[in-house]
Amino acid sequence: MTGMNTQSSETAAGQSPDQSAMSKSRVLEADKSCSVPVMFLLTWALAWLVGGGILAVVSSIKLHGPGFLAGSAWLTYGRVQPASIHALLYGFGFQAAIAVGLWMIARLGQAELMGRKGILLGGAFWNLGVCLGVFGILGGAGTGHPMLEMPGFVSPLLLVSYSLMGVWALITLHFRQVRSLYVSQWYLLAALFWFPWIFIAAQSSLVFHPVRGALQFVISSWYGHAVVALWLVPVALAVLFYFIPKLLGRPLHSKHLATFGFWTMALFAGWGGVQAGAPVPRWISSVCIVGGGLMLLPLIAVGMNWWFTARGAKPAQGDFVWGFIRFAAVAFFAAMLLDIGGRTRVIGEVTDLTVFSSGVYALYFYGVFGMSIAGAVYYLVPKITQTEWPSAQLIRWHYLGSMVGTVLITAALVVGGVIQGLRLNNADIAFVDALAKTVPFLGLSTLGGLILVAANVAFLLNLVRLLTVCCRCCCCLPWNGTANGNKAAAVGANL
Amino acid sequence: MKPDRNKKKTSGGPANPSAPTTKRSTPAAGGSKRGSRGNSEDSEPTAGSEPVPVWLFVLMALMLYSGMSYLHTYGGGFNPKVYENFRSYKLVDSANPKSGPEMLIAKGEALYMVCAACHQVNGMGVAGQFPPLMGSEWVNEPNPARLIRIPLHGLSGPMQVKGQDWNSSMAALGSALSAEDIAAILSYIRQAWGNTAGPVTPAEVEAVIADTSSRSMDGSRPWTASELMSIEVAQ
Repeated sequence: MTGMNTQSSETAAGQSPDQSAMSKSRVLEADKSCSVPVMFLLTWALAWLVGGGILAVVSSIKLHGPGFLAGSAWLTYGRVQPASIHALLYGFGFQAAIAVGLWMIARLGQAELMGRKGILLGGAFWNLGVCLGVFGILGGAGTGHPMLEMPGFVSPLLLVSYSLMGVWALITLHFRQVRSLYVSQWYLLAALFWFPWIFIAAQSSLVFHPVRGALQFVISSWYGHAVVALWLVPVALAVLFYFIPKLLGRPLHSKHLATFGFWTMALFAGWGGVQAGAPVPRWISSVCIVGGGLMLLPLIAVGMNWWFTARGAKPAQGDFVWGFIRFAAVAFFAAMLLDIGGRTRVIGEVTDLTVFSSGVYALYFYGVFGMSIAGAVYYLVPKITQTEWPSAQLIRWHYLGSMVGTVLITAALVVGGVIQGLRLNNADIAFVDALAKTVPFLGLSTLGGLILVAANVAFLLNLVRLLTVCCRCCCCLPWNGTANGNKAAAVGANL
Repeated sequence: MKPDRNKKKTSGGPANPSAPTTKRSTPAAGGSKRGSRGNSEDSEPTAGSEPVPVWLFVLMALMLYSGMSYLHTYGGGFNPKVYENFRSYKLVDSANPKSGPEMLIAKGEALYMVCAACHQVNGMGVAGQFPPLMGSEWVNEPNPARLIRIPLHGLSGPMQVKGQDWNSSMAALGSALSAEDIAAILSYIRQAWGNTAGPVTPAEVEAVIADTSSRSMDGSRPWTASELMSIEVAQ
């Protein structure tokens, strides 16, 4: 971090204008180098966000209207629901995270993004993998393990294409011009390595060499937790740690506090996934509860850091970006507290086996991850394409829609889950009556899902319009190599 | 991943604590290209170096300690057999049906309440009236064939236990208790209070019942000590 300080004070304390100009031009080069691969990944990511969102709405409708699209085996709940999770998580979640991560690594290191063709190739195969996964699940070849539903043959493809992209992130990081690492880079680097670890561990012990009985449940629950805690959340934190100080125009309060938060999270985030009351040995859920309690430490450290950074400050720039970032930061605390609370035996006794956990996941996914990624995308796309967003109205709609949709889904499922749990635990209420009382809440969550789809369509529409504007004047941009220019044109033409 | 703190000392750079406030206002002019909002190109985020408050480490120590004591109390001793509703393996064990001699002994302990009326819970009997079971040569005989007959048909008349003479009678329990019950009680008394003889199986009791089918179990023909001693048993 010291190097960052050096660099910052160069610009702040007015070091020689030469160096400042050099750093500025390096940033410009870094931005430009990202354009083709990052835009490719982002466009596909947003397409999956809309597609997966539609599948999610279909599966949500089936919870309160079981007759909906019931005629086709491909569209039964047991297939549509995992397909939507798969499309959203791997199609949108991973691609958008990689796109934003690549840009941040290039930008913070003031280095050109390396291996752009490799990344494009990896991105293409990744999308092929996600596509095969969605159709495999809809076709009935799902594995039945939550969050890992794609058929076994898809996962090596995903892993190889992930490595194709990830390795260039590492190489870009290696050749960075600014030697010291900022907080965001720690989280990105960690997430970059955590994902293959949890993915290989879970895939190999669930799909390729399945372990026996109850252990499968433990591993798949752990993976479902870890993919949130060790991939979505670190990436969101990288984005938030980048944009909160940046948009407020002041340095982060303390790198030491950030170090504390990072390492406590690295140590304890993986201790989770098995709900108290699950039919497995008691020590496993007890460890998950203790892990949840210990996650209060990074939560406090991150909270203090952001609070002291943001206290009394107004965003100096990027007003609508700040809206997304602020929402994601608040959602982070809400989601973590709900998550930690839901794990405890007192609350878990009520919320176990209800829709509560879906609400918390929705808050993590749409509120924390989706909103921070959206903020980052609104900031970075104009930089790397050197094109203004075509419509401010669409951004406003996207902001309002995703805010309302996320709050609606989360509140409906969390409150509905608690009510459902209280009624399920009450022996005087018949099981069917307890379920019937949750129907209005499920209806509300469907409404929230619909609003989110509409908001994300606005997001995608704006991006596609921007790309058409950008590609129309592709030829006049100062590309570094004609190959990239051609590729950009090709990518644009495909859209 | 983590910044090297040593670098700070050597770089001599402006990693000064005042860094957080030096950099408030740098929307430099240069960044207004097409598409950007104009002022951000040169302000990558930086981090100040405020120290971590000590109380956070104290809190961490407290939470680690309470986490450990939570696991100690609610972790079920990390035993894979302890599931949600049990705190420890001991509780799981006591809630589960036993098998073999263990089961017999546990059952016998409960049924012994019938015998405890005379022989007492501590197996010491009552001086002058009821002989002790603790350390008794009749109870601890390796082959239980004679012992089994006593509760089956009763016993009366003079006998020697632990070198003392006794003269009282015991009721027959053979019609009130099943063969398994008797095996359970005998198994229990043969290992309780420092007794060291092996358990008695229900099959052994069944065999004795078969051998003595001519003798009524209603208490009309109790054994005498000399009758019992005259039975041939393989030791």
